[in-house]
Amino acid sequence: MWWRESGVTLLADILTILLNGLQQGAIYVLLAVGLSIILGTLKFVNFAHGALYLVGAYLGLFITGQVPLNNGQLAEWGIQSYGIGLGFIAALVIVPIAVFIIGLLMERFIAQAFYDRPDTDQILVTFGLAIIVQELLRALLGGSSQPFPQPSWASGPIALPVVGNFPRWRLGVIAITAVLVLGVYALVEYTDFGLIVQAGTLDGEMVRLLGIKLSRPYLVVFGIGAALAGVAGVVGGPLANVNPNIGTEQLVPAFLTVVIGGVGKIEGAVVAGLMLGTLQVLLIQTGYAAWSQVGIYALAAIILLVRPQGLLGSEVDVS
Amino acid sequence: MTVLETDQLTKQFGGLTAVDEVDLEIEQGEGVSLIGPNGAGKSTFINLVTRRLEPSYGEITFQGNSIIGMDPHEVVQMGMSKSFQTASIFPELTVMENATIAALAAEHGSFRFNFFRHQNSYPAVEEVANNVLESVGLYDERENQADSLDYGNKRRLELGIALAAEPDMLLMDEPTAGMSPDETQSTVKLIKRVKQELDLTFLLVEHDMEIVFDISDRIVVLNRGSVIAKGTPDEVQDDPAVQEAYLGGVEE
Amino acid sequence: MSDEPRDATATAAADADAEVTGGLGDRWASFRDREISTVLLTVVGVAVFPFLFNNFLDGYTQLATLMLIYGIFAVGFDILLGYTGLLSFGHAVFFGGAAYAAGIFSASVSSSPLLVLLAGTVFAVLLAWIVGFLSLRRGGIYFAILTLTFGQMSFYLAASPLAFLTNGENGFTSVDIGSLLGVIDIHGGVPFPLSMLVDNMLYVFVAVMTVLSVAMANRILHSPYGTVFRAIRENERRAEFVGLDVWRYKLMAFIISAAFAGIAGSLFAIEGNYVPLQSLYWTESGRIVIMTVLGGVGSLFGPLFGAGLYLYIENIVSGFPTLGPFWHLILGIVFVVAVVLFPNGIWGGIDYVRNMVVGGDEE
Repeated sequence: MWWRESGVTLLADILTILLNGLQQGAIYVLLAVGLSIILGTLKFVNFAHGALYLVGAYLGLFITGQVPLNNGQLAEWGIQSYGIGLGFIAALVIVPIAVFIIGLLMERFIAQAFYDRPDTDQILVTFGLAIIVQELLRALLGGSSQPFPQPSWASGPIALPVVGNFPRWRLGVIAITAVLVLGVYALVEYTDFGLIVQAGTLDGEMVRLLGIKLSRPYLVVFGIGAALAGVAGVVGGPLANVNPNIGTEQLVPAFLTVVIGGVGKIEGAVVAGLMLGTLQVLLIQTGYAAWSQVGIYALAAIILLVRPQGLLGSEVDVS
Repeated sequence: MTVLETDQLTKQFGGLTAVDEVDLEIEQGEGVSLIGPNGAGKSTFINLVTRRLEPSYGEITFQGNSIIGMDPHEVVQMGMSKSFQTASIFPELTVMENATIAALAAEHGSFRFNFFRHQNSYPAVEEVANNVLESVGLYDERENQADSLDYGNKRRLELGIALAAEPDMLLMDEPTAGMSPDETQSTVKLIKRVKQELDLTFLLVEHDMEIVFDISDRIVVLNRGSVIAKGTPDEVQDDPAVQEAYLGGVEE
Repeated sequence: MSDEPRDATATAAADADAEVTGGLGDRWASFRDREISTVLLTVVGVAVFPFLFNNFLDGYTQLATLMLIYGIFAVGFDILLGYTGLLSFGHAVFFGGAAYAAGIFSASVSSSPLLVLLAGTVFAVLLAWIVGFLSLRRGGIYFAILTLTFGQMSFYLAASPLAFLTNGENGFTSVDIGSLLGVIDIHGGVPFPLSMLVDNMLYVFVAVMTVLSVAMANRILHSPYGTVFRAIRENERRAEFVGLDVWRYKLMAFIISAAFAGIAGSLFAIEGNYVPLQSLYWTESGRIVIMTVLGGVGSLFGPLFGAGLYLYIENIVSGFPTLGPFWHLILGIVFVVAVVLFPNGIWGGIDYVRNMVVGGDEE
């Protein structure tokens, strides 16, 4: 029947857009959840979050395969390629751990020194740090774009009902994101550690007065947030090329997602990230590609103006 | 003349009623103290009156006009001034600049487009600023950074700033908190002097009962958001409800 | 109070001090404080700068011109950041926006440099009114993020949907600048007496604008606004409670800083005859933040110095052997060090050293 066929096609289109939106949103979600808990719990404005994504991508590239070096300082020193070729799974395991440790170090040596300084100073120092990381990578590895090959077990299309062929890796990204976010959510909601973190977010002073030291949980929160950004770099890498600028590109959308969803609320970051990702894909697929970026920024601005605490945020004065 | 009047003023935060249908009148020239145990709602009440908080319902009338919906600075321009719990000054400005800010607001109002006029072309502003400093005895410190003053002097500066516009009413939120007995005494003397010289009406939130009984014409007692007693210091002192609220009952 | 005897001795001591350090230190301080001297200093500065720069620092006039342009941008930005305490990460929208407006104006309406400059600046001011009105409703990081959002939105707007106006990713190439006041060729040479100092009329134009901008900034900072801005930075709540309409003053600070960005952006379009899309990207906003912070927040000349330093490193140091390719990395490190150690930027650091040496207090 003609109507059944076009109905199915419409459904297929919608589902495709949704799936693509989920995948696009997944990257935003990974970045935003991490940034949200750092901002919400530690009240720390981390303008270096994009740099953590960047580190995750390059580290992932390094662990996964062999990358030829054509320019940059290392190439000039005669090093022709870098990488240890352990494969993608290894990267998925090692990168979060490595970036987690970086997050611990950042909390200990940077965030702690700046908790008492005004917000603006936090932004400035992390912004500076991001530049240092980005430029270090550019100087050593060169500024050209590197492709990040998708893992062989997840490349190629997979046949889905209704939708038809869909890139396997995109499903992989959605799956990995879902698992990680659920894991973090469970950690925060159902463990003692999470309870302390939640209490500390609401009233840090009270928690300390009760005799609970917050410095350890704070370290871990930063580590988790950083690790999520690192994973985002690893899973996002195969979707586009890797170059020193991708950290800068991801920073603003990450912050937008956080504040749209509501600072400190994991569910908010998820909803906001998926919304933005889907909107972006929708605009591209319906022929408004030119507006795809403007669209998400406009949406962000509107939400922030109409509901400053974010979609799922609570009516707390955050100024 | 009634300077400040609140009518059924109420503030609820979710399930908690912080201020519960408070009726209050303050007459011209009166010094009224607001007391009550911790958590009674005193600070919330002050914040409602100064327009830092939006009431859940109820009316606030200042100088005969409703101030519901106004911004804090508008109310200040109408003649209500507030002195903060901590010595709220401008730390890295000089003492003189601190006084100048208050003088600017007093002389120029809440806003002007005068960004191309040199500040030296406003002798009236300078005069007000000097008067402020002299009245609190800080004229000689005017070139020093406000941060460098000791706490007592910071408090005096803060009071001076609050009085720069010769307000019709001054709200003071625990002005002697954290002060030594000497500092407390001189602050009390200052308040008394100012009350007399400027015919100042004030609403004072205080915990120190000696001060309260010393300088107040009337006392209002809050407990759990509601008014439980009103009257002269003597009346309130003998009121059993007040004693119960503070001491949990009187030993007979 | 027992202050009277102490007061007397304190005053006597201060008087004695003044007699000793007085003279040169005092006279320099009062010279510095007068408006005319600030303007004169600037005139002398911009006059000798190209000569010194070209001959002793490997410089060239075009770079000197750019340094002044960004210097104007930074001075205005500092009024917002250093004096009022508001960090905007979206000021590229005023710089780039003014550049585009100026360019489009020059191509479609008039080529007179003065009118072009005016058009760009007016555009920046109007835009700032809107953006500021919307962004200043919340404080702290929300302000930074909202300005960042509007900045990026304008970048992507200029890239695609508005490409029919802006020429999209290739940048605006139809800038058309005519002669100044009908007679002076702005891209031409300079008549005799001035030509000893500089070879380029464009530099003279920009230099004049720089002096005017510095004079304006100086006057603004010495007006009641200067004290109000700093009071807002120090204790916003108290400023509100002495009766000042803090929100309106913040909006004014925002608009004023955007006006300076607008002047700079228009000059930028005039200078390069071209407007790159990149001038709207948030990294451009980041650059001006770095320039201002490096140079010294809360001072008048600091930002000029910071702009000069940044561009020097970006354009000249980047060509040095060995260290050259690492220029951006070096800049990042210096910036972080400056933020950590000198919250008042390098100029603040100089002040700090000078105070230790001269032993007086100025600001």
